[in-house]
Amino acid sequence: MTSATAPPAAGPSPVHRRPSVLLRVWWSDTFAGWAFISPTVLLIGLFGLVPVVWAFVLSFEQNDLISPGRWVGLDNYRKLLHDPAFSNSVRNTVVYTLVFVPVCVIGSLLVAALLNRRIRGITFYRVAVFIPVVTSTVATATMFNWLLDPDFGVVNAALNKVGIASQGFFRDPKEALLAIVLMTVWGWLGFGVIIYLAALQSVSADLLEAAAIDGCTRWRAFWRVEVPLLAPATLFLVIWLTINSLQLFDEIFVTTKGGPVGSTTVVVYYLYVQAFQFFNGGYASAIAYALFMAILVITAIQLKVGRRLSHGER
Amino acid sequence: MTSSPRRITALAMGAIAALTLAACTGSSGSKPSSTQSGGVVQITLSHGYTDVEAKAVTAQVATWNASNPKIQVKLVFNGGNDGALQKTLAGLAAGSSPDIAYEFGSSMAALAGRSQVVDLSNKVKDSSFKWTDFYSFERDAATSSGKVYGVPALVDNLALVYNKKLFDNAGLAYPTDSWTWDDFRAAAKKLTDASRKQYGWAYVADGSEDTTWRWLAMLWQAGGDLVSADGKKAAFDSPAGLKATQLLHDMAVTDKSVYLDQGNGNYLNLFNSGKIGMLWTGPWDLSSINSDVNYGVQILPAAEGTHSSIAGPDNWMVFNNGAAREQAAWTFLTWLTSAQTHGEFTLATGDLPTRASETKLDSYTGYLAKYPGDAVFVLNLGNVTKARPNTKSYPQVSQAIGSQMQGVLIGQTAPQSALTAAAQQADGALASGQ
Amino acid sequence: MPNPTEAPALVKPLRDDDLSQAAHRHRPSPWHFLLLPLSLIMLTPLVWMVVTAVSTPEESRQFPPALPTSIQWSNFADVWAGSPFGHWLVNTAIVSGVVLISNLVLCSTAGYAFARLRFRGSGIAFMLLLTTLMVPFQVVLIPTLLIVKSFGLIDHLGALIVPNLVTAFGVFMMRQFFLALPPDLEEAARIDGASRLGVFMKILLPLMGPPLATLAILTFLSIWNDFLWPLVAIQSPENMTMQLGLSTFQGAHLTDWPLLMAATLMSQLPVIVLFLLAQRVFVRSIASSGIK
Repeated sequence: MTSATAPPAAGPSPVHRRPSVLLRVWWSDTFAGWAFISPTVLLIGLFGLVPVVWAFVLSFEQNDLISPGRWVGLDNYRKLLHDPAFSNSVRNTVVYTLVFVPVCVIGSLLVAALLNRRIRGITFYRVAVFIPVVTSTVATATMFNWLLDPDFGVVNAALNKVGIASQGFFRDPKEALLAIVLMTVWGWLGFGVIIYLAALQSVSADLLEAAAIDGCTRWRAFWRVEVPLLAPATLFLVIWLTINSLQLFDEIFVTTKGGPVGSTTVVVYYLYVQAFQFFNGGYASAIAYALFMAILVITAIQLKVGRRLSHGER
Repeated sequence: MTSSPRRITALAMGAIAALTLAACTGSSGSKPSSTQSGGVVQITLSHGYTDVEAKAVTAQVATWNASNPKIQVKLVFNGGNDGALQKTLAGLAAGSSPDIAYEFGSSMAALAGRSQVVDLSNKVKDSSFKWTDFYSFERDAATSSGKVYGVPALVDNLALVYNKKLFDNAGLAYPTDSWTWDDFRAAAKKLTDASRKQYGWAYVADGSEDTTWRWLAMLWQAGGDLVSADGKKAAFDSPAGLKATQLLHDMAVTDKSVYLDQGNGNYLNLFNSGKIGMLWTGPWDLSSINSDVNYGVQILPAAEGTHSSIAGPDNWMVFNNGAAREQAAWTFLTWLTSAQTHGEFTLATGDLPTRASETKLDSYTGYLAKYPGDAVFVLNLGNVTKARPNTKSYPQVSQAIGSQMQGVLIGQTAPQSALTAAAQQADGALASGQ
Repeated sequence: MPNPTEAPALVKPLRDDDLSQAAHRHRPSPWHFLLLPLSLIMLTPLVWMVVTAVSTPEESRQFPPALPTSIQWSNFADVWAGSPFGHWLVNTAIVSGVVLISNLVLCSTAGYAFARLRFRGSGIAFMLLLTTLMVPFQVVLIPTLLIVKSFGLIDHLGALIVPNLVTAFGVFMMRQFFLALPPDLEEAARIDGASRLGVFMKILLPLMGPPLATLAILTFLSIWNDFLWPLVAIQSPENMTMQLGLSTFQGAHLTDWPLLMAATLMSQLPVIVLFLLAQRVFVRSIASSGIK
C-alpha cells in the first residue's frame, strides 16, 4: 500500500544518484516535506481521520438508536455475508461503477479536447458543459423525471417519432440503473472536463509540433502524445470518480429511491435505509466500513497500476 | 457524495454515529443557564414550516413573545423534510437540541425513550390540557410503549379528490359516500383514454411509505389487518390482503387506468393539467390545485362497507435542557396546541384541526368557508379507525410491502407472490423484535 | 521525457497575433456542429429553471410544463423582499472565500510535497489522507460535529470554515498535477542551491495556474452548495448559509417552485461568475495546442 503511493512517477532524478548530496537532500526533503504537509496533516487528521476511526468502533456494536450500543464484535460483519439485500446492493454498485467511470472519463477527455480550442463562442460552450455541475441535484432529478417520464416524457415522444417503442426508464427494473448512469454522466461530465482542461494546458506545444512534423495526424497525435501526458490527471479522475460512484447516493435518493424492486439499491442507499429507516446503526456502520475496505483496496490497486502505466510510457 | 462538489441536496442521511453517540452522551445533563437572565427564560422551537405555515407560526410566536416577557421563544428552521430527523439526532449528540421540535410521526419510534426526550405522560394528564380532545389515533401516534412523547402538531388523512370536468366529459356521476371498489374501478377505467394520455387514477409507486400507506387503507377497507394482535407476526397475507393487492393489479396492469408516479409528486401537476381523474391524497395537496381546476372531495370507496382512511400525524416533542426551560417549553406548548391557538393556525393555513373541539369554535365556519375542500377531510378523520404500529420494526414492514407492491404495479409480480414475499420479510423483521 | 527548455511554452502568454489569427477565421469552425447540440443538452435544466423562475405558481404546477404567458420578473424581487437572501449570500461568501484561499495555499504546498519530495512517512500520510475520502460523509458527521463543538464553534461560521481549510480532494488533485510537471524543471535550480520553498514559489507555482483555477472553482462550489454540514452545525437564522436558506422555500408538501428557482438561479450566479473568470486561464496555451 505504501509503495503504491511512493512519490514521483517521474523516474530517478540525477540528484539522487550522487552520494555526496544524497544525505543533504534527504535531510532537507524530510524537513521541507513535513513543513509543507504538516498543516494539512494536522487539519485532516483532526477533522477527517479521527472521525473515521471513531465511527469505525461503532461497527462492532449493536445499536437500535435508543439504548446505548452493545458490543457485538464481528456479528454485524458476519450478518453482511448472509444478507441477500446487501449482495444485491453490491451487485448494483459494481455494475453502476463499471459503466459510469469509463464512460465519464472518456467522455470528459473527448469533450475537454473539443473545448480546448480557440473558436468563437468557446466560453459559452464551456459554461454550458459546466452548468450541470452547478445545478442542484434536486433540479436535475426533477428535470430528468420530466424528460424520462414513460408516459409524458420528451424522450419517449422523440423515440416514438422515429418508430421506437416507449421505454420505462426509471420505472423499468432493467433500465433504471442505466437511466441513473445517463443522469450522473450528464451531471459529472463538466467536472471531468475542467480537470482535463487544466491538464491539457501543460501539454507543451513543441511536443505536438514535433509530432506533427513526424507526420502524425491530429487524431493520432492526440492519442499518442497528449493522452499519455494526461496520465496523472486521468489517474486522479479515475480514482475520484470510482470513490464517488461506489458511494453513489444523492441521485438515487432524489429519483428512484432504490427501486423499482431493488434494481437501483446501491450500497450507500442500503446503508441509509438501514440507518435512518430501520435504525440499525451498528449494521449500517458495518456496511460503511465494508465499503471502505473495498474502496481502499481498489484505490491502492488503481494507484499502483497507474504508476506502472505512466512509467511504462515514459 | 463525500466531499464531492455536488453534495447539494438534502442528503436525508444523518450520522450513523449519532445513533450511538446520542445515546452515550445523553446524560450530559442540563445546559448552562446562560439563556436565563433576569428571570427571562429563552427557549427555541425548531420547525420545518415554509410559506403560509411559516408565516403563521412566526406571527403566533411574535404574539406570544409580546404578551409573555418571561418566556421568550426563538424560532429555528430544521432544514425541512429530509433534514429534520438528521438535525435532531445531531443536536442530541452535540447537546444542542432545541427545547421544542416538530418531528415527523415516523421519527417517534426512533426518538421515544431517549433520556433527552421529555416523557410528557404526566403533563398531559392535567385536566386543563384536555388531552382526550385530540383524536384517538393522534394520541396513539404520540405514544410509544405506553408513554406519551409528543403533542399532535399536524394531522391529515387520505380522501378521494376528483376532477369534475373529467367526470362530466366521460358522462360519469361524481363519486358518492357509498361508492364501492367496483364503482371506483369502473370509473377509473372510464376516465382512462390512452389516445389522450388520460388516466383514471394515480398511485405513488416509488416503493416507499407513500406506496404502502395507500395500500394499508385498502387493506383496512377490505377488513384486513397489518400485524397479528400480539404484534409478532404479519397478518396481511390474508384474503383481505389479496383482495387489496388484486385491485391494484387489476387497475394498474389489466385496465392500465393508473398513472404510476415516481414519488416526485408529478401526479398533482398532471391532475392540474387534466390528465388524471382521481387522486387518493391529503389536505396538503389542495392548496396546490390550480384555480382553473374544478375539483371535488369524497371519502374513499369501501370494500366491505367500511370506508377506512389512514392518517400520518406529526408531533411536537420536548427536549430536556434543564428544568426551567422544560417548564417554559411546556407552558408555551400548552398554549400553542390549545384549540384556540391551533384554530387560528388552521384558519391561516388550511391545515386540519388536531382537536375535536376546534370544530366547535366560532371561527370554524369561517374556516370551512375559506377552505371548502377541507370539510370532507375533517369528516374523514372519523374514518381513521386504525393507526400504523408505532414500533421500530414498522419501517421494515413498510419497506417490504412498498417494494412488493411496486412489483405488482409495474406488472412484474403476481399479487399472491408479492404478498407471500412481503409477509416473509415482515415476519423476519417482527421476529427480530426490532 | 519532455525537455526542460520547453517550460516557457507552458506559460506562453497570449500574443496579439494569436488573437488576430482567431478573429480572422472566415468560415465557422466545423466543431460548432458538435458543440452546439452538446451545449443544448447540457443546458436543458437551466432552461427549465429559468422558465420556472419567471412563471406563476399555477403555471409551474402543470405537466407537461407550459411556457409562461407573461414573464414574472417580480419573483426575483420577491426573493429579496421576502427572505434574508442578501444575508445568506454574505455568510456563504465569507465561508467560501476563506476556505477557497486557504485551500489554494495548503493543497498546493501539500500536493507539491507529496508529488516531488521523498521523505519518511509521506507514503503513509498520503494514504491516510485518501482514506478520509472513502467513508460516506454521513457516517463521520457526528464525530466531526463533536470535535468542532470542542473548539466552541457550534452555531458559528467558523464551524463551516475550519474543517474545510484543506481538503483531501484538493491535496490529491494538486499532487497529480505536480506529478505531471517535468521534474528537470526544478533540478537545475536545486543544484544552484535554491531551497525547496524557493523552487516551489518561483518556478513551479507560476506553472500551476490552470490546476489552481480548477481547484478554486471546485472548492468554492463544494462549500457554496453544501447543505448537510451547515444544517447540523448551524442553528441560528442569522448564521444561515445559502443552501440552508434555499431549503426554507421547499416545504414538505408545498413548494413554491418559481420562487425556489428564482432564488436558486441567483444563488448560482457567483459560481458561474467564478467559473467564467477561472476558465480564462484555460486559453493560455491554446494557441499552441492546435496542431497544424
